[in-house]
Formats: sequence, C-alpha cells, structure tokens
Amino acid sequence: MTTTPRLDIREGYAEKFGFHDAEQYVFKSRRGLDAGIIEQISEMKGEPRWMRDYRLKALEIFGKKPLPMWGGDVTGIDFQNIFYYVKPTSEEAKSWEDVPADMKRTFNKLGIPEAEQKFLAGVGAQYDSEVVYHKIKEHLEKQGVIFLSCDQGLRDHEALFKEYFGSVIPASDNKFSALNSAVWSGGSFIYVPKGVHVDVPLQAYFRINTKDMGQFERTLIIVDEGAWVHYVEGCTAPIYASDSLHSAVVEIIVKPGARCRYTTIQNWSNNVYNLVTKRAKAYRDATMEWVDANLGSKLTMKYPSVFMMEPGAHGEILSIAFAGKGQHQDAGGKVVHLAPHTTSKIVSKSISKDGGRAGYRGLVRVQKGAVDCRSTVNCDALLLDEASRSDTYPYMEIMENQVTIGHEATVSKIGDEQLFYLQSRGINKDEAAGMIVSGFIEPIVKELPMEYAVEMNRLIQLQMEGSVG
Amino acid sequence: MTTAQSLPVTAGFDAEWGARALARAAEAHEPQWALERRRAAEAFARALPFPNREDELWRRTDFHALEAALPTLDPFSATARARGVDDLPAAIVERLAGEAGNAALVVQRNGDVVLEQTHPELVRQGVVVGSLDRGFREHGARLQEAFGSLLASDYDRYVAIGAALSAGGAFVWVPDGVTAALPIRLFHWLDGAGRLAAPRTVVILGRESHATVIEEMLSEPGESSEAADAVAFHDGGSELFVGDGSKLVYGTLQNWGPSVYHYSNHRARVGGGAELQWIQTVLGGRVAKANSYFDLAGPGASAYVHGFMFGDQRQHFHLHTLQRHLVPHTTSDLLIKCCLKDRARSVYQGLIQVSEGAQRTDAYQANRNLLLSEQARADSIPGLEILANDVRCTHGATIGHVDAEQMYYLQSRGLPHLDAQRLIVEGFFAPVLDRIPLESVRDQLRGVIRRKIG
Repeated sequence: MTTTPRLDIREGYAEKFGFHDAEQYVFKSRRGLDAGIIEQISEMKGEPRWMRDYRLKALEIFGKKPLPMWGGDVTGIDFQNIFYYVKPTSEEAKSWEDVPADMKRTFNKLGIPEAEQKFLAGVGAQYDSEVVYHKIKEHLEKQGVIFLSCDQGLRDHEALFKEYFGSVIPASDNKFSALNSAVWSGGSFIYVPKGVHVDVPLQAYFRINTKDMGQFERTLIIVDEGAWVHYVEGCTAPIYASDSLHSAVVEIIVKPGARCRYTTIQNWSNNVYNLVTKRAKAYRDATMEWVDANLGSKLTMKYPSVFMMEPGAHGEILSIAFAGKGQHQDAGGKVVHLAPHTTSKIVSKSISKDGGRAGYRGLVRVQKGAVDCRSTVNCDALLLDEASRSDTYPYMEIMENQVTIGHEATVSKIGDEQLFYLQSRGINKDEAAGMIVSGFIEPIVKELPMEYAVEMNRLIQLQMEGSVG
Repeated sequence: MTTAQSLPVTAGFDAEWGARALARAAEAHEPQWALERRRAAEAFARALPFPNREDELWRRTDFHALEAALPTLDPFSATARARGVDDLPAAIVERLAGEAGNAALVVQRNGDVVLEQTHPELVRQGVVVGSLDRGFREHGARLQEAFGSLLASDYDRYVAIGAALSAGGAFVWVPDGVTAALPIRLFHWLDGAGRLAAPRTVVILGRESHATVIEEMLSEPGESSEAADAVAFHDGGSELFVGDGSKLVYGTLQNWGPSVYHYSNHRARVGGGAELQWIQTVLGGRVAKANSYFDLAGPGASAYVHGFMFGDQRQHFHLHTLQRHLVPHTTSDLLIKCCLKDRARSVYQGLIQVSEGAQRTDAYQANRNLLLSEQARADSIPGLEILANDVRCTHGATIGHVDAEQMYYLQSRGLPHLDAQRLIVEGFFAPVLDRIPLESVRDQLRGVIRRKIG
C-alpha cells in the first residue's frame, strides 16, 4: 500500500478567493507598454518630473535586458497584452465606509477589516493598481510612524522618499525590477522613527481583480535607529483563463540597532506569474527577517535578500514553498555579508505534490574583508507523490577565510515509519500525514503571527482529511 | 552526424589541424567508422562557439587566455617511443616506485603513447591493456559501440576539438568474471608549455569482473617563472563502462605543472549491482576544469566518489560532478574536500539528479572547504534535482578556516605554526587519502600536500 496524501491547502481557492467583481475603474490604460503609457501613468499620478524621468529611463533598461534563462519559464508572458495601469477609484479612502461597495465586499470576504480590528496596527488594501484604503492606529501616527501608500508617500514626504527610493534595488538590477521601476503603482511607504517600537503588525493586502492585469506595487520601508516594525502582506487574485503578472519591488532600510520583519503570505491564483525583487540593507547591529510563504501563483521567482552592510548585522530568511498541480515555486533567498561580524540564517521548507515543482535557490556571499561571519542554510523538501519535483540550488561564494559557512539539504517523502508509528498510537492515516506535514513546516509556521499560524495549520489539517490511502 | 558537415564556421579552430589529425589517424590505421566520427567532431570544432559566461558551467572559470593561445599550441609534435621504463620522465619513474613490474602500464607523453606494457598474468586472464590506437585496430568491434556513447563530441567546443585532434589514450578491457590480478596504471605526461594533448580513454568491465585503474597526470614541475603567457592544454576524455555485478576502482590524480590548462570530461556508466569507486585529486595546473559525471543505470548500482583539491598561488580549480540516478534502487555517496591557500580559487558545482520513477534512490553529496588565506576564494554550488518521491537525497557544504582552538592546542604542544597547520590540513584530507588504493601513490600525494603547505 502506498502513501499518497492528497494534501491541498489550496483546495477551495475558487470559492474563497477565486471570485471577481465586475470590472469597474475610473481609468484603465490601453494594453501594452511604451513611453506613452508611462507618461500617462505619471501624469495621472501628478508626479514630480524626476520620477517621470526615472520611469522612462527604467523602461529603456527593461527593453535592453534579456529575459532570465534560468529558474522558471517566463517566455509565456506577453508583455504587450497586459494592462499596466488600472485605477479602480478616484481616491484612497480613509475609512471603510468610503471604500466602494464592490471592493468593500471583496475585502470583507477576505477578512481584512476584521483582522484590522483584532490584531493589526494598520492596514493597507490595494485593488489592481491603486491602494484603495489605508489606515494606521492613532497612537502610532502620533509617534511619527508613517504608513501610506507608496504614491501618497511620494506626495507627502518627497525628500525622504527620494533619498531612499531605488537605493536598495536599482532599476537596472534585473529585467523585472526595471519593469516595476517603469510602471510601479501602489504598495506601501513606511517610516518608523528612531526608537519607536511598532509591536503589532502593519498589514497590506493586495488584490488583482482585472483580467490580463499587471500589478506592480512598490514598497519602501525605512526603519530608523533602534526602531522595530513587523509588516505583513497577503495577496490573492481571481481565477481567469489567461495569465496575470505580478512584479513587485520591495526595498527596506534597517538602520543601526533596528529590527524589521517582513512576512508574506503569497496566495495568488494559479494563473499569476509572480516575479518579485525584495531586498533589505541592514546596518550596524540591525536585524532583518524575511518570512516568505509561497502557496499560490503559476510561477514564483522570488529570492528575498539581506545585505549586511555593517558589523553586527543579522539576516534571517524563512521560506516555505508549496507547489501543487501546474505550479512552479522557485523560491529561496540571498544573504550578502559585506561587513565583518555579521551572521545569517536561511531555513527553507518546500513541499511538492500533484506534479508541482518547488525548490530552493539561494546565495550566501561573503565579500572580501567580511571576517568572522557565520551563515547556516538548511533546506528540506518533502515530495508527496512520484510526479512531483524538488530542486535545490544553493550558491556559496566565499571570498574571506575567517568565516563559518554551512549548508544542509534533504529531500524525502513522508516516512513510512513515521506513519506507522503514529498509526500504531491509534491516529488514523490522514491525521498522521497531516501531523507530519505540520511538523515539517512548523519551524517556519511558528514564526507567523499567531492568527496566520493557526489558519495555516487548520488548512493543512482540514485538507489532509480523507486524502491518504 | 551528416548535418555536421554543413555547419557554419566559427573562428578559433584551425581547419588545417583537422586535416592533419585525420591524416595522422589514417596513417595509424584508425578504422573507417572512427575516422568518420573524427570528421564529424572536426565540423563541430569549427562550428561551435567557445563556451562563454552565459553558460552556467562556464560563468566562474575563465579560459580566455587559453582561447587566445590555442592557435600557437602544437598538437602534432611527435615523441619517440620509450624502450623501457628507464626512458620515461623521472617524475613518472618516481611515481612507479619500483612497482613497474607489478602493474600494467600505458604512458602517454604529449600526443603519443610512448610505452605500453602489460603483464603475463593479465594476458593469461584475457585482460586487454594498451593504447587506444591498438584498441581500434585489435578490438574495433567492441569499441565501435562504446566509444563516444557516453561523451558526445558536440558536448561543447573543447570536447569537439579534443575529439577531432584526439591522439593517444588507452583502452582497457576486462572480460566477464575476471578479477584483474594487477593494477592498471595510465600516465599522461606533458613536456611543458606549447603542448596540446587530447587523449581519449575507454575502460570496459564485463559482467562480474573487478579492476583497479589509476590515471595520473604529471608534467615538468617548477617552471612557473617562465613567461606567464606560455601555456599548455590538456583536453582529455574518458568513458568507463562498469558491467552488471562488476567493481571498478578508478583514480584520476591530476598534478600538472603551472603552465597547464586542464579540461577533462569523465563519464561513467554503472550497471545493475555494479560498483564504481572513484578517487579524484586536483592539485596542479594553472586553470583546471573537470566534469566528472556518472550514470547509475541498473538496479542495485552504486557509486562512491572521494576527491580532494588543494590549490595555492593563483591556481583556479573548477570541479563539476553529476550523480545521475536513472533507475530505482541505486546508491551514491560523494565527498569532495578542498583546501586553498595564497590566492587560489575553487569552484565546486555538484548536482544530484533523480530521474522520474527512480524510486528508492539514496544519494549523498558533501563538499567541505578549508581556506588557509585571506585571498583564497571558494565557491560551492551543490544542487539537487529530484523527480521521484521515495528517495533519500541529502547534501551538505561547508566553508571555513583552520580552527583557532585546534591551532592553539597544537602550538601549545610545542609545534611550530606551519607544522600545526600541516597536521590540520593532512587530517582534513585524510578521509580521502585513505581511499587511494596504492600505498606508494598515497605517500607521494602526502608529499605533494606537504610541499604545497610550504
């Protein structure tokens, strides 16, 4: 008897997230991409000239860069068939009452307002190209915490914005960062002043509604000296027959002694190409943590990075990738040690089933002069059936000898002995398989905010029922 | 293959070389089918571009200096045959350590096999050891199927060039059920800069047979002060066939002099219930790139690879291993250790591939790197591509430096710094050194390591 658990934490996606509203928008660019469209976006946003020029320059770079030939297959993206800018409302709402009814219903279904009341310090909700709602708790606002849409950030805090925008991820970093730099819209702008601890998470929720839509949010987070912040993002999209493109850029600056944790629960529908560039610079004694869970999308290529710029910086990446039928999760992370006495840790857990392909692709780089660095990488993969695939591609580039670098990876299936043991204790097979999978991802799930962790475990337990045998 | 003739031409390969290589091979009575393949390889050598940085396997290793120097090298200089072991270069005689009578020998100097020496005991067993030329003439039928079946001449341009110019190399054949009574030792010698040698070797073990084959690469040492741009190129290829139930112990021990660019392509195919034990050392050369691949092609096949690299000065080593599990119930275990000093640089790139349906695969891959200097650099890229689920595949890689506590302990016992370091490095390499089957070879490698530590 073979064990082929039909684990699917995405079962029921169609009912829960796969719906879509009738398309209503105040503006929708024509399909395709050219300088005209970019000027149009920039003009609609009433941007300063430097930003328009920046976008046009980035478009030029985008045109010159070749598509990546490694990782996933991106040749299916028809860049000229995409709507690059869909403006759903004329302005951002300050309270839920002002959010248009359709969108409110969508976000209600997704549980956003409820979550805001219960456990969040602030919430942003993006619908297609624009943020339609943004709210932050009053006491934080009083302490000088800024939590705005990225567009609003540019309007209200241009000097601060300009100082850091593009400083972590230049437009020329890769083809998709160039694309984002050219057409970016929405996303969050966060500034946490010196010493302020935002001890409950700020959350943003991203929703694609329009068919053939490209979402290009841009997030810029600046955590000033000694400050703390935890930012959570979630994303879903309707199930359309044709593919959408989500290509975000997230830049984070973690100043001396500060801490930032960025948690992503990526649950796009299976027709979204998710090609995202995320990078943080961590300065003296600062800590940057990425918690990156990839459950959805058709193809994800995402490798959150931490550049440790000054001594004492610490980077951590926790990555979960779950690939079901037709999905390719090319997840992973990068840590770059640019200064001595820096430490990093990567833990990756990937699960493949029903012919899905999940993997880890990562880089540990120690620059010359970065002595006394420590880095450990642990990757584990679980293959739930014989049609699935798991890849591990860790890169280690070490230019300094006073370092300690380690990498371990394993690939296995659910152990028959483990199943047998649990069953011999009177636990039925489905439950046992669910427990094993939960145990497998536990090291990362425990790092999620409690509400997400509970939800994740519940989903897995539910979906494992009746799935083994 | 017929299309090869109509391929375009890319600058970088001397067409006249192709014609001369063909004439030389015809003169040596190479069979018609082999000449045909040589012609096809020559067309690829002319048409293919040189590998460039866009290719993942060439991103970290730079052959541009060789590319530029290639037309100045001489692949055709003839070397006189040796009358006996005493005519061989001193370094080889030293390596043989008086054991020449207890082994079969094939010695290649530059492009030519200068000595073939088997042993009455092996002859009695029906074991064939000789140059590939002789193999073509006397065992053509056996070679026609095997030669080129694991290493295609269009793999890349350097392999194509090697196949077009190939000269020398060895053919080893061990019949079914035979345990070769003596080790088989193959030597490759280069007389320094300006040479180009491209030997191809084929080793075939029938069913239920055993053999030990050690290939060693040596050249005139200590010529590093010569013009920095003087280079030699060794572009070898080997194909190993380990028949069902057989066991091959195979060593590739590379210790070229400082002018040599080394590019090697080894391919092994391991049959059902068969075992390959492969020991690899990379010590010499200016830039050394080795592709060591094996296929586990029958149920119960297993392969154990142990290797070490030790680079100093500005040496650049690049080892790419591929552990391919094609069928269910196969096992592989690989350990590559690398130590670097001065400005040396290493790249270890390893991949475990488990094919669809290759259930019950047990695969392990470990890469350990020890950096002795601040200017040394090690890249480690272990990889897994797993398409079956009932498997156990694990890999690990570490990069570190000499442990300060160990050093302190040894020095507190009165050992000078250098001796302490030597002990630590020897200890680091010991698990691999211990696998080398011949005591005399082990001792000589220890000597090389000691000299490198300084």
